[in-house]
Parts: sequence; structure tokens; C-alpha cells
Amino acid sequence: MIRLLNAELFKLRRRLVTRVLLFVLIGITAAACFVLLAISRAFITGPGLDMTQGGAGAVNPLGLPMALPIALSIASSLGVVLAVILSASSIGSEYSWRTLRTMLICSEGRLKLLGAKLLAVAILVLTGMVIGLATGFVTSLVTTAIGEYAFDFGFASGQFLWDQFLQFWRVFYVLIPYMLLGFLFAIVARSVMPGLAMSIGVFFLEPIAAAFMVTARGWVARIPNYLLSANVRVITSTGGPLQLITAETESGVLSRSPTTAQAFLTVALYSLAFIAVAFYLFRRRDVTG
Amino acid sequence: MESASTASHDDTILRTVGLTKHFGKLEAVRDLNIELRRGEVFGFLGPNGAGKSTTVGMILGLVAPTAGRIELFGQELAKDRWAALRRIGAMIEEPAFYSYLSGWDNLEVLARAIGGIARSRITEVLDRVSLLNRAQDRYGHYSMGMKQRLGIASTLLRDPELIILDEPASGLDPAGTREVRDLLPELAHESRAVLLCSHLLHEVEQVCDRVAIIKQGVMLASAPIRELLKRGMTFQIRVADPPRAAEILTALPWVEAVRVESDNLIVDAPQDSASEINRALAEHGVFASELVSRSPSLESVFLQLTGPDSHD
Repeated sequence: MIRLLNAELFKLRRRLVTRVLLFVLIGITAAACFVLLAISRAFITGPGLDMTQGGAGAVNPLGLPMALPIALSIASSLGVVLAVILSASSIGSEYSWRTLRTMLICSEGRLKLLGAKLLAVAILVLTGMVIGLATGFVTSLVTTAIGEYAFDFGFASGQFLWDQFLQFWRVFYVLIPYMLLGFLFAIVARSVMPGLAMSIGVFFLEPIAAAFMVTARGWVARIPNYLLSANVRVITSTGGPLQLITAETESGVLSRSPTTAQAFLTVALYSLAFIAVAFYLFRRRDVTG
Repeated sequence: MESASTASHDDTILRTVGLTKHFGKLEAVRDLNIELRRGEVFGFLGPNGAGKSTTVGMILGLVAPTAGRIELFGQELAKDRWAALRRIGAMIEEPAFYSYLSGWDNLEVLARAIGGIARSRITEVLDRVSLLNRAQDRYGHYSMGMKQRLGIASTLLRDPELIILDEPASGLDPAGTREVRDLLPELAHESRAVLLCSHLLHEVEQVCDRVAIIKQGVMLASAPIRELLKRGMTFQIRVADPPRAAEILTALPWVEAVRVESDNLIVDAPQDSASEINRALAEHGVFASELVSRSPSLESVFLQLTGPDSHD
């Protein structure tokens, strides 16, 4: 397994798509910080919140410490798309390039090869998240300097760092089902694109469908609680104020967002289901053509 | 069909017993029995869609057999696939590598996946297929011939005891084809076995010790190549009166077929029957001015066996 992981990491590191995805992540994280800074400086003014004026005594609310949650927020939204591209292409491209046979002949087993692929993708996604955080940190220093705000690192308490550490893993946790969904459909269709389409489609369209369901009456309104998007939102907002989805059911009782424990469990069940089907199909099917 | 008992157990590297594969209603391979021994180059021939790649896929564990079993190095493949695969080098259908990696890096990926392969081994195998000077070029920029060479190099990485090559000379220039032709017996003599799938029958004829011919998944022939060619041996006889000579020879019970080609008779008869043919003609007052034995090419045997009337 370690040997296969080594080979997979070697391949992924050298792929152009991996580097492009990393540059996109860095670029968008930095760009988001600069754009937010520009917008805030231009439009947000008020008593005690005059952002148009910097000054050594002022604090940049878009710099540290907010830069880290912003970077993690980008990772949990844009990061899904990038992670899905990486996971779906890691297996789908093998089918397209017909290299799967070459790899299988050199592999201890199919399940180990698939496991190594998933681990390699997970390692690269985690690395990307760390780089995204670092980008957010560096960008916040730059925006602080540009805005002539005060460099105040007093926020960096043990509690703050622990909260960010937990949030980092929560974000990674919610990426997993989307990555696995992309991975699964790349295997089902033996191609990258169906994996991308299905996973990104679910990521963007499911919340819209869920919103319609919530407005409906009866049992339909409770369905979103068992879908990915509502549970993912609960997990990623655990560190901050919980956004509740409410709707009036036929019985007049308000349906609420799932609890944090339910959300973690639901996402875990989805992930397990996706990975189980992926492994089952990959193990069972003949590799021909 | 070669009997399993003709080879000692230690020499048998690959044995398939009743190997069968169905894809839905399509029977791709039916009850296939082949045996491959150490030190030989074994030709596995058949027209397109005959079931060669499916068979190779089953040997490599890529395709699950519907019935039958595969023994590699004396062990059933299903029991420990990886232990067997570690001793096999294979290139199926066409070389398939990562176009964004160099030739060297492609072999490094495989070496890392297999494990325990030194970088010096990569240099060694690239040198053996004359690709060392282009090792750092991207695979995507390689010519077909260079891709084939890299494919062959990849099969040698783990110093295998069984090498499976599917059309290794495809896309190679004449010099490259000759190199491969020289390389295969060389590999076999290093105490390995080589399973060669090819449509270049002239090449197969020159390098293979034994061949098996399949069509529509059914084995039509499996024999040492010399024996196979002897089976199709004919006699070409020049006589003054071919129709009369044909009449005489057709009456002989051991003559399989006689046909007239211009002034010559072409006679299908046992290899050692030249003197009997001559005597029979002379006894009837017909004298041969020329009597030569004619060996068929592998191509003609192949076409005869796999022609439209051969198996339906």
C-alpha cells in the first residue's frame, strides 16, 4: 500500500492539473482578501467602523484574525470544486489514458490501488488547504500593511488556534463526501467528466433543491435534513453561529437543521456509501479495452 | 494439444485449464488449455477478436474467468495473485503510459508501485531497448516505435520469469523489428518464458518455439512450430500428364488431396511419402521429372486454420 501511495503521489505531484489547481486556490484566496478589503474600504463606514481610514491604531477586520476563517471558508466552497477535480481525475484519467491496466499489473491488488489513490488525493487536498491557509495569512499581512492598520497578534491565543485547527478538520471532513462522489462516478462511467458533473452538480444544485423542499409542507420539508448540503452547512458553521433552516410542517411543528452529531453521522454515512460502492465496482469489474 | 505430462512440473510457468470467459451472451474464450515452459517463446495467434487479449487479461488478473483455472509458477493464480504477478512482465495490446511524464519517470512510477527496484535497473532496461538517450523526453512526444520500446522496457523492470508481449513490433521500423526479433529468444534463453501475441506471422515463425492458434475463443491448434508447418507440407510434382498422375495418386489411401496447378501436381501427403509417390507413379508408367517437398509458411497455415470455413 505504501509503495502504491508513493507511486500515486509521484504521479499527482507531476501532473499539470495539480499545479493549476493549487495556483487557482492561492490566486482566489488572495484575490478574495484583496477584493473584500477594497470593498470594505470603499463602502463600509460607520460609527467606530470607518474602514476608509487606516492608521496605525486601527485594526483591519479583514486581516488577521479573520483571514484564517475566510481562507477556510473559501476552502469549504471553492475547495470542493478543486478537490473533486483532483479526485475524479485521479481515477478517471487512468481509464481515459488506458493506463489502469499498466498500474493494475504492478499493483498488489485493486483495493490497495484504489485506497492508495484516495489517500494520495487526501494528502494533496490537505496540503492544498494548508497552503490556502498560509496564503490567507500572508495576504492578511499584506492588506494590513497596505491599509496601514495595526499589526496586532494578540488574537493568537491557544483557544483561537485550537478553534482554527478544529475548523480546518471540519472543512476537510465536509470535502470528503464530494470527493468520494466524484471518485465513484468516475469509476462508474470510466471517465473523469461524469465524476466532475455529478459531484459539482450535487454541490451546487442540491442546496437549491433543498431550499424548494424546505418551503414545501409535510414530510418533503424534512428531506433536506438527510441530504448533504444541510449537514455540511451545520458542520462548517459549528464554530460560529448556527444557521437554522426552519419550515412549518403539516403538524405545525418547526423543522430545524440537524444537530451537529446528526450532521457528522449523515456525512459519514454518505461517505461510507460512496466509498463502498466505488470499491465494490472497481473490484468486481473486468478491466478491458 | 500439448500434453501437460510432457513437461516437467518445474519447467511449466503457465498452465490454463478449461479457461472460459463469457461477456454476457458472448463466449470470448472457450475451454482453453495452454501451457508455457521456461526457456521458450510461445506464439499466441488468432485473428482480431479471437480472444487473445481476453486470455492475457485473465492471466494477469484483469479479467475474471467464467470457468477454468490458471496456474502460474505451479500455484493457482486466484490463491495469491500478487505473488504470481511480481514474476510477470506484461504489455497488453498497446503500451499505455502517462503522456505528461518522461519515459524515465513512467518507469519510476512503475518501479515505485512494484517496490524494491533500484534506479540502476531503470537505466539498465532503458539501455536494453536503446531508449536511454531519450529517457528524459516526455512520453507524449515519443514515436510509436519508442512507445513500444518503453513498453518492452517496462516488462523487464522486475526481471520477470514470464514476459507477455502483445504486438511488441507494431509501429517499429525494420531495424527496430529486427532488434525485437533478436531480443525475444535472448530473453527466453535467460531462463524465462515469453508469451508473444502478434499478427506479424513472419516474425512469429522466426522467433517462436511453439504456437497456439485460436479463433472465436476456441483453440484450433497448439504445437511446436516445426510440427505445425510439417502438417501442412505438400509435394510439388512435375509430370508430362498431370490429369493421369492425379488419377493415380488420388486412388492411394494415404494421399489426402491432389490438385493440378498448370503443369504441376500439388499433393497433400505424409512428409515421408516421397518415395512411395514416386514408385506409384512409375508403376503406372508415369515418370516425375521433378518432385520437391514444399513447406508452408506459418501465414498459410494460419489462414488455412482461421479461414471462413475453419470454425463455425
